[in-house]
Amino acid sequence: MTERKSPTAVLSEGPRALSDEQVREIEEADLKGVLGVDIDDVIEYVHKDLKSLPDFTTLYRRYLKQRWDVYDLDFTQDKIDWAERMTEAERQSFLAIASGFHHGERQVEIELPVFMIGASEEEKLHIAAQIEDEARHTVFFDRFYREVVGLQGDDIMDILDASFPWVAETFVGPFGLLAYQADEVRKNPYDERARVRYGTTYFLWIEGVLALSVMKVTLSYARWRGFLPAYYTGFTATCRDESRHVQGGMKYLQDAVRKDPSMVNEIHETLRTILTLAGVASREVVYEPLGWTQEEVKLLFNQQLRRKLNDVGIRLTPDLEAMVGSVQPVLAGG
Amino acid sequence: MTEPGFFSQEWAVAVGEALAAGPTEGVRTDKLPMYWDFFDKVRAGYASSWALGCRDLPAGIAATPAYLHVEWGGGTVTGCRIAGMDEQQKATYVFGMDYADWRALHDGYDAQRTVMYRKILVEEGNVLEFFKGIYFFTECLGIIGRVPADFAALAVH
Repeated sequence: MTERKSPTAVLSEGPRALSDEQVREIEEADLKGVLGVDIDDVIEYVHKDLKSLPDFTTLYRRYLKQRWDVYDLDFTQDKIDWAERMTEAERQSFLAIASGFHHGERQVEIELPVFMIGASEEEKLHIAAQIEDEARHTVFFDRFYREVVGLQGDDIMDILDASFPWVAETFVGPFGLLAYQADEVRKNPYDERARVRYGTTYFLWIEGVLALSVMKVTLSYARWRGFLPAYYTGFTATCRDESRHVQGGMKYLQDAVRKDPSMVNEIHETLRTILTLAGVASREVVYEPLGWTQEEVKLLFNQQLRRKLNDVGIRLTPDLEAMVGSVQPVLAGG
Repeated sequence: MTEPGFFSQEWAVAVGEALAAGPTEGVRTDKLPMYWDFFDKVRAGYASSWALGCRDLPAGIAATPAYLHVEWGGGTVTGCRIAGMDEQQKATYVFGMDYADWRALHDGYDAQRTVMYRKILVEEGNVLEFFKGIYFFTECLGIIGRVPADFAALAVH
């Protein structure tokens, strides 16, 4: 394991190149080895290929090598850390952030299948793999909430219902929008404009900005404090999965705009709605117990959005530029 | 006191009054002022109308599907009534929802998951424009769910 940095150290580092050894460590680590991988390196790895995006078959082959068994995780030490080593303030802060992800994973799992219908055959392979990834991430959170947090229920929906009180009212912004955009795609699966709007919400905003930011906050806390090893392992492996999703999603958007430059208008219109909603928070979340301030989380969101747009070559209009500055962190991902 | 039947004109009048009154102080204290500032700003400029449908209303009250037609303007509700198929075409946004989900909303199921789990869906209208006011909509849906309604009387029909 490399040197442990403070959770927010990465904010002042900026983009950096990973060594071949670091890339190999991330790409080839088995589940046990993932515990030794630095989350900052994995998030950097997400961006590594954004300028020259891999094709969908390459992403599918990576999936076959990197898939992991969620039932191999042992949450015994996490349960001890949660009950005996973490403070109540840390637990509440953690739940306020992780619960958005618990629900986000379920949402992105069930909203993705309709997108496959209008995709190329190679992209279908990648989407099928992504659906399996998202299902596995849903089980990961179900296990964490049952075995570590101690929520009880007969089935997955029971546990989702039990963690819902920690989910902010603004969650319905991006995830309700995704559900309704998925319904538009369901009705017209070959409507490329509807697909680009859907892809902007799913791949650029939810996965590229929200998910990576929220992952970073809880994982850097766990690594910094040396707590929750199974959570760190499973969620860092999840982040590695997300690197394929973000790269595939950015490739889809980039190809769509290259084929028809007017598609950038669909991206802008979708961002206009998303950024309108992202300027609002319904609850005050205390990040300090996890080593962050609200301003630092906002900066992290901003950096994640800028990097995706820059790397994929999407320019914002002046009104969208102004909206980016008022974004409030939404504690969710998928 | 007898509660108005679900999807009756009396119920629609009560819904209109509740929406015009807006969220109670109790509801407002649960969320940040920033959230309510956004709600109030959307409401002040809202000039759209909703046709909130019940796809499988039990027979005897209205033709199925029936719509709760809500019109907004000048920061308040300007019309709220039960309408049939022909009138829903005049609404900015047309929504579909099953009777069981309307009843669940009335029994306390939250508006946020009603949207997120697609229990209510936009059947007609611009989704991106609609979502710019989604927090306003979900709060209003919650208000509608809290208006007393007699579902038992409907079941008899």
